[in-house]
Amino acid sequence: MKDRQRIYPFTAIVGQEKMKLALILNIINPTLSGVLIRGEKGTAKSTAVRALADILPEIEVFENDPFQLSPANESEVYLEFMRAAYGKEISLQEPVKKMKRKVRVVELPVGATEDRVAGTMDLEHALQKGEKRIEPGILATAHRGILYVDEVNLLDDHVVDILLDSAAMGVNTIEREGLSFSHPARFTLVGTMNPEEGELRPQLLDRFGLCVIIEGIQDPEDRVTIMERRHAFDMDPDGFCVHWETASKELAEKIDQAAFLYPEVTIERPLLFEIASYCLNVGVDGHRGDIIMLKTAKTLAAYHGRQEVDSQDIETAAGLVLPHRVRRQPLQTIGNDVQSMLEKGFGQ
Amino acid sequence: MFKKVYPYSAIVGQEELKLALLLNTVNPKTGGVLIRGEKGTAKSTTVRALAALLPEIKVVAGCPCACDPDDESRMCDKCRKNFPDHQVCLQRIRVVTLPLNATEDRVIGGIDFNLAVKQGVRFVYPGLLAEANRSILYVDEVNLLDDHIVDIILDAAASGENHIEREGISFRHPAAFILVGTMNPEEGELRPQLLDRFGLCVEVVAETDMDQRIELMERREAFDLHPDKFLRCFEQENAREAERITAAREQMNAVRMPRHLRSFISELCTKNLVAGHRADLVMEQAARAMAALNQRLEVTTDDIGKVAHLVLVHRRRDASPPPPPEPDKTEEEEQQPQGPEEKQQDQQTDTEKPTDGQDTDMETGAEEKTQSSGGHEQHANKDNRAERSKETDSPEQIFEVGATFAVQKIAFPKDRLYRRGSGRRSSTKVSQKQGRYIKSIPQNKTGDIALDATLRAAAPYQLKRKNDQGLAIILRKEDIREKIREKRIGNFLLFVVDASGSMGARGRMAASKGAIMSLLLDAYQKRDRTAMISFRKDKAVINLPPTASVELAGKLLAEMPVGGRTPLSAGLAAAHEQVRNYLLRDPAARPIVIIITDGKSNVAMGDQKPMEEAFTFASKMAADQRVLFIVVDTEDPGLVTFGLAARLAGLLNARYFRIEELKADQLVNIIKETG
Repeated sequence: MKDRQRIYPFTAIVGQEKMKLALILNIINPTLSGVLIRGEKGTAKSTAVRALADILPEIEVFENDPFQLSPANESEVYLEFMRAAYGKEISLQEPVKKMKRKVRVVELPVGATEDRVAGTMDLEHALQKGEKRIEPGILATAHRGILYVDEVNLLDDHVVDILLDSAAMGVNTIEREGLSFSHPARFTLVGTMNPEEGELRPQLLDRFGLCVIIEGIQDPEDRVTIMERRHAFDMDPDGFCVHWETASKELAEKIDQAAFLYPEVTIERPLLFEIASYCLNVGVDGHRGDIIMLKTAKTLAAYHGRQEVDSQDIETAAGLVLPHRVRRQPLQTIGNDVQSMLEKGFGQ
Repeated sequence: MFKKVYPYSAIVGQEELKLALLLNTVNPKTGGVLIRGEKGTAKSTTVRALAALLPEIKVVAGCPCACDPDDESRMCDKCRKNFPDHQVCLQRIRVVTLPLNATEDRVIGGIDFNLAVKQGVRFVYPGLLAEANRSILYVDEVNLLDDHIVDIILDAAASGENHIEREGISFRHPAAFILVGTMNPEEGELRPQLLDRFGLCVEVVAETDMDQRIELMERREAFDLHPDKFLRCFEQENAREAERITAAREQMNAVRMPRHLRSFISELCTKNLVAGHRADLVMEQAARAMAALNQRLEVTTDDIGKVAHLVLVHRRRDASPPPPPEPDKTEEEEQQPQGPEEKQQDQQTDTEKPTDGQDTDMETGAEEKTQSSGGHEQHANKDNRAERSKETDSPEQIFEVGATFAVQKIAFPKDRLYRRGSGRRSSTKVSQKQGRYIKSIPQNKTGDIALDATLRAAAPYQLKRKNDQGLAIILRKEDIREKIREKRIGNFLLFVVDASGSMGARGRMAASKGAIMSLLLDAYQKRDRTAMISFRKDKAVINLPPTASVELAGKLLAEMPVGGRTPLSAGLAAAHEQVRNYLLRDPAARPIVIIITDGKSNVAMGDQKPMEEAFTFASKMAADQRVLFIVVDTEDPGLVTFGLAARLAGLLNARYFRIEELKADQLVNIIKETG
């Protein structure tokens, strides 16, 4: 790991607070099901996502488990898989080796083929042993992690279909090339896109929990800071990262605490009303908006160390959850300003 | 399988959806459910939750098709051979998921690879159709399913049987499944044939009731936080529901249908202009299931009333009359007197220059065309003079986008060319190692080896082939199978829009914009690239260079101003240039040029008369076979029509539509038959 190229630290990114917040919220609460980052080129979209590795928490996994199953909740599934897919008989009595590692950011390249994404037959094993065996795909690797798709709007249509399938229910079902298998695939979907290159399909759009629209920073002073930091990083990556280490650690700790606090967070009924009326007024398709907004508001409260959601949380949550869910006229562009949409909604 | 499925009884609202699913589990003859609705309305959740409530059925022990032990006529080949010597066991009805990326071999079934290698025998490895027998076959996003998989399913659903004839195996087994599909209409509609297969159809919408919405949020959050605790809360209710299903299933066969209600059903169906008899049959079965659910032994009108909507919603034909046929008639009338005139002219010119041979023949042909079109132009001049003076004076206007609608299918027929690209409009075989792997063939050309098929082909011979390389499988050249992949490519759609003043009259531009917007929506669903050219005043402007962003095109369209004269030929020239450039970059592409105009050209680029020039351009452009032209005529179907756009379409070899004809309506024929 030491030899790996240094990554620009998350905490050193200038501005783009909304994007950073959305990413952090998703780390605290993976059930928010992802962020879509829309914006022009060169606005630190990809940098931010790659930098996440810095602040991600640790999870427990079985050693060498290609399916990233959780020993706490999915040990039975693990045993079943070992038997079904690998012919290994393991009983619960003998302890299976477990380990802790950081949550992974798994990248899905735009040109990825269907078989690599979903999983396919293990060629080597088939030739050597004369047996069918599954070779897990990217979706298996991304279980309990972050699946990152750069330029998600350019993704091939049939790959999007697979994503839709598994993102919906957290299960990837393979029925192809002589294999029949399904495994859990719950991941946080993070996508970046440049709207000029074409829109996302509405169905996929809806799968992203949050959406942020980012622009280049207009403040000259901030722009100078960006240049300076980037230069400093390029000249001496190690030194730069050491310099930012404390800030990263603090943030990671804050995230840890928030995740711990999240189940305790409560919300009062009038505030639930507020969420529902927000969604009704701007005209959201279905109920995913309501559910995600509630989760986002609670996560926000936890992030701020509070046990109770306040209306400020809900307003912030609305700005993150609603922009891409507002029922649009056909082909209308996605708006930035939830407040103005709300006013329109109330006006009608 | 991975437990923690959201419990069925905890789903808030969606009573219609729940009812449709229950009717199907009580009576499998109801024929499945199609769940249509916007995203995030618990479509998939409900179906998956249903799995926990399904009752147990008697099956032949060890049979992968779950054959019914008491019914010899509907058994798979293997069970029939053993009949009646078999063991019986109970098995829960399953929900078998058919993922969108399933390949043919897994859907139909094929050779058992492991057995073939180890023992050298050909044995059936059952596919999804076998697993789904007497169970539920569930397809999420069914409208995105590949056509060839749809064909397989339709075939099996129609006969209730699946024949496996592949890889040296011949096997027949029952495949009577309950087809349950979900879809979001935003992503495109279902094939009518498949649509009709679904017995019932439910349109789901989000709850608008505030309390319900809050209840829903709270429950979902509670489930995500403490799934086990949540499941326990609803355990009892779930058990009660399951009991209700079991009880109803037992009663099912005893439910009687009074005779007078049968005629009531058929009356209901005829009134709603339903095609075929499936609706009648499905409604009867559903009504019987409804009665069984209510623990009655006789169907009542009430039962029928409750299920009628579910049966009819996707089969009901729009009873509105077809568009008035007058415009076509006037066109014909116009053409009829024209015909002899033209012939006379032809004869005249022929007699004038009888000796000049073929070349001049061509010339005179062209001359004749331009002459007659010139005549048209003069007509147009007279009649339109008043209007045109208004045009030039009138300031620019921006019209709103009119109502949108679903458009007719516009696509190239499939051919044998292999091409590159991505999209959804026209199916094509692709040469890249991309696209959906649809099947395999014995061949070795592209290097795109279908490993699974190759191994299956080689498997039965492994015992015979000597093995001294330490490998379990020896492949020979004759085993190699290659993948055939198919994907749909988006076409390049070039819109050429007439934005002259004449289009502004009587809301024509609003209607035209509506039509273009509809085409754009269609283009979005098919992932086309679009470009837009508009012509007005004295030149054509490229509003939008080729892009995949249909949104941008939509925005530009809404903002497009109207006013000024009509330089049709300039528009055609610009279109030609765009298409030529596009074809230079991608020679295998098949551009579609959609020209939206009333055809009344009155500005020329050169010295010719405007109409003549436009028609000359058109006939030249028609020479390129790679381009598909579509002319959308926006002329008012009033008493005086010039049919200029129709002539333009003729010269371009284009498909010709009037705006109102663009709407997709496969049902017109049926209405004609019944009405």
